[in-house]
Amino acid sequence: MLTRRSFLKSGLAATSLFAAPSILKSAHAAAPVTFYGLKSLSGSFASYGKFAEMGSQLAVKDYGPLLGGAVKYVTIDTESNPGKAVRKVQEAMAQEGAALFQGCTLSSTALAVGKEVAKGGGVFMTPAGADEITGTECNASTFRWTVPTYGAIHETVRPLFEQNPKAKRWYTITPQYVFGEALLSAAKDLFQQLGIEHIGNSYHSTQEQEFSGYLTNAMAAQPDVLLILNFGGQASNCLRQAANFGLKQQMKVLLAWTAGLDWFQSLGPDLLEDVYMGAQYWHQVQTPMNIELVKRVKETYGISPNYPMAADYISTKVILDGVKAAGTADGRAVAKAMEGMTYEGPTGKETIRAADHQVIKDYYLLKGKAKSAMKDADDLATLISSGQSFPQGDKIACKMA
Amino acid sequence: MRDSMVFDRMTLAVAVILAALPVLLPSASLAGEILIFAMAALACNLLLGYGGLLSFGQGLFFGVGSYLSALAMIHGGAGLLSALLIAMAAGAAVATLVGAMSIRRTGIYFVMLTLAFSQMGYFLAYTLSDWTGGDNGLLDVPRPDLTLFGVTLVPLGNPYAFYTFIAVLFFIVFVGAKRLIGSPFGSTLVAIRENENRALAVGYDTRHFKLLAFTLSGMVTALAGALYGMLINFVPLSNIELSMSDNIVIMTIIGGTGSLLGPLLGAGAMVILGEVLSDIWPRWMLLLGVGLILIVMFLRGGLWGGVEALAARFGLQRAAKEERP
Amino acid sequence: MLNLYLFQILNGLGLGMIYFLIAVGLTIIFGLLNFVNFAHGAFFMLGAYLCYTLLQLTGAYWVALIAGPLIVAGFAWMVEKVLIRHCYHLPHTFHILITVGIALILQEGSILVWGPIGKSVPIPDMLQGVITFGKFAYPKYRLFLIMFSAVVGFVLWVLLERTRFGALVRAGSENPEMVSLLGADIYRLFSLTFALGVGLAGLAGVLSAPLRGAHPFMGPEVLGLAFVVVVIGGMGSFTGALVGGLIIGLVQSLMSTIWPQGASLMIYAAMAAVIFLRPYGLFGRA
Repeated sequence: MLTRRSFLKSGLAATSLFAAPSILKSAHAAAPVTFYGLKSLSGSFASYGKFAEMGSQLAVKDYGPLLGGAVKYVTIDTESNPGKAVRKVQEAMAQEGAALFQGCTLSSTALAVGKEVAKGGGVFMTPAGADEITGTECNASTFRWTVPTYGAIHETVRPLFEQNPKAKRWYTITPQYVFGEALLSAAKDLFQQLGIEHIGNSYHSTQEQEFSGYLTNAMAAQPDVLLILNFGGQASNCLRQAANFGLKQQMKVLLAWTAGLDWFQSLGPDLLEDVYMGAQYWHQVQTPMNIELVKRVKETYGISPNYPMAADYISTKVILDGVKAAGTADGRAVAKAMEGMTYEGPTGKETIRAADHQVIKDYYLLKGKAKSAMKDADDLATLISSGQSFPQGDKIACKMA
Repeated sequence: MRDSMVFDRMTLAVAVILAALPVLLPSASLAGEILIFAMAALACNLLLGYGGLLSFGQGLFFGVGSYLSALAMIHGGAGLLSALLIAMAAGAAVATLVGAMSIRRTGIYFVMLTLAFSQMGYFLAYTLSDWTGGDNGLLDVPRPDLTLFGVTLVPLGNPYAFYTFIAVLFFIVFVGAKRLIGSPFGSTLVAIRENENRALAVGYDTRHFKLLAFTLSGMVTALAGALYGMLINFVPLSNIELSMSDNIVIMTIIGGTGSLLGPLLGAGAMVILGEVLSDIWPRWMLLLGVGLILIVMFLRGGLWGGVEALAARFGLQRAAKEERP
Repeated sequence: MLNLYLFQILNGLGLGMIYFLIAVGLTIIFGLLNFVNFAHGAFFMLGAYLCYTLLQLTGAYWVALIAGPLIVAGFAWMVEKVLIRHCYHLPHTFHILITVGIALILQEGSILVWGPIGKSVPIPDMLQGVITFGKFAYPKYRLFLIMFSAVVGFVLWVLLERTRFGALVRAGSENPEMVSLLGADIYRLFSLTFALGVGLAGLAGVLSAPLRGAHPFMGPEVLGLAFVVVVIGGMGSFTGALVGGLIIGLVQSLMSTIWPQGASLMIYAAMAAVIFLRPYGLFGRA
């Protein structure tokens, strides 16, 4: 190490540029508690990373001082690239003794990072979508804030059906990969329970951006409800084109899994009007902590908090709470302290289930508002219902080693 | 012929770089990543720089290497060396197949064929999610220790140990490639690149030469892919995506296709700049775009070309020329 | 059931016409300039974003429809003068490298200008709604798109086949030196062709914006499709782009009823098959 430092001081311009990360990163190692945010700031998930980063930074600012000394916050750019993310986590752990991690949007990144963190005995909390994180691939270090696909289906399909008991014929559009399949199988089970007739499903690949063909299939089946199970950019195009084909007039449209406010804003009220949407977080929910969070985000960033921001804000806070409860920043101790913890979260009382490290929290069903009914630019949807549904008992896929 | 010597100046330079990388860089795993991509770029350069064949199939070979070595270790209980050998064999086989079909066409149609095969490989990996983990990636990829006949020679859990292992492999690949380029095979390949019809007229079966270049390139790329899986204990689907091919090709051209050292420079520059710039500015890819344009406008020999030009300016032309393959 | 297929064919036509518009610019540029434009998808994206911004500013769709592609073309004209023209004599590798650079700048630049989250573009009021046939419906906007693209295609065909400019372009693609001997300013011709080709990508972006929105990362997907279309049709062939676009549009639509999982796979398999059976595409020349 010494040789490296003195080598750098010798002032070789090119070398110091190459070695810059070492200077940047080792400077952080001095602080007593160092917290690592894994954010997709560059690359194709930049839209998510930007808000997630704002959330974590705010949480460190708000709750860091409670730990006595200052909490050092270090951002790791995952570059929306799983390989880079894993390598950077390895480095932080090996060289700086990093133990506290939060973030990762992409499921693949979150799964792999979770494994790395577990190997090093750290703690990691993520808002990623894959059920495997607190399911078959669960481990002692990894926690998840996001409600699994099971809950997303139960808290959207059930209330929608209860409000419209005559809507018995449902058609689904599903991206064909693990996440889509999980949503679809949960939906099929629930259809059977509720006596809903599943009249058809269209699979599509995760590369698809053109949905006219699938929507025509759906139209041909003449369903009462069209259940769309993709998310993000694909859901945008699917919904855009569904509206374009006039499907919104012919049937109810439900998107079980949406990214929330920032996604709504990108679509605008004309498209969202009367569409039902599932959400992990909604800024208008009146819980004590959320009221506070909305106020804090408004005064700090001048916007309403959205899902990535809220998810990473609360996940960061929960880990810091864990540090406080454990009285140490040691990863294993913090993880232990977090198990079973109940706290005030943005969705109300939230509990970390010890069995699988899944946060037990509300999931929301929203309905898009007409432009004329909106009170402000972010008032894009009405809250229809909220509730908690999670796999219980032997349905919990996680076998904690 | 100096080229056929094992320890000429260029080889020495590579040895020095390999030894210096983990010391100069903040971590051994970063240095390892650079060498892995340098290896892939070197294999790409064998096709592009020497054979004049622009292949977008490199990501496919890389992905095949990482998936098959990982699966061999997870399901077949393969050790380190056997996993790497399986990856190389598979990479060579797939590359031979892709090469055999692609070299029947030339120019942009050749490029598009390699691209099509690459995309088909991606969809296959994506569809076979029971084996590959699909979009979630293949998790829990082991990094076994280096054993021979059941005796552990070197444990590779430590990042520096694993870096050393990668560096040794890279060195072997480099020396092998250098000898190959210096051999009649290499000069024939260059002759084909310069003028295929003339090479045909002289009596070479150009197809065989191109195909062999593909086989070797696929083998080395797959080896790099296998090492990457072991480095990060994980095979993300992005290993076999088109963007992987793009990256490998771009590294190769940035480094300079005229030399075997170019790919090392290109991979190093791309990985390190990404590392440094992404910490500073999330939109750093914009600068990468500017860099690519600047290279096309002013530095067509790539970074290696720049090094050569500098060397020439400081009166080292003779040395620089001699190192040219 | 038969109706369903008829509708999928209609969908395929609509889709195919968009693909035609995207691909025809690429093919013209390749045909005359022998230049491989990997930034084509990025210019498409630029068109989509301009559609959004122009609509925000003026509220009139037709303004976006006319001004959007012109701005993209003007920008391309400048890029050609400053960068592209210095590369024609270089191998394809460098064409790819420089246009990948341009594409990266456009992609990251669009995030700086419009933010990382995509934008939606409303369908113009006049073209809202659907025309219903029994239990099926077809959006008016998509019908407009088919007809408008057909008109653009026809104008383009006239331009290429019946004007001096077109004659020069066609002659130039076969023998650039001869064109300069004829006294035409070959560089001006090249600039105009590049601007025209890229302007068409911009037009396709503007037209697709109400269906796909605008998103910083939409370029690569479009680029991939455009290449498939052009390779199937034959590099440099106008008819090839039209037929290739329609084939891919129809394959995609019909596959979504027959075997959705394989839709993307089939497209690339189709491309490989065409290259094998007809080395220079369906309508290409050696």
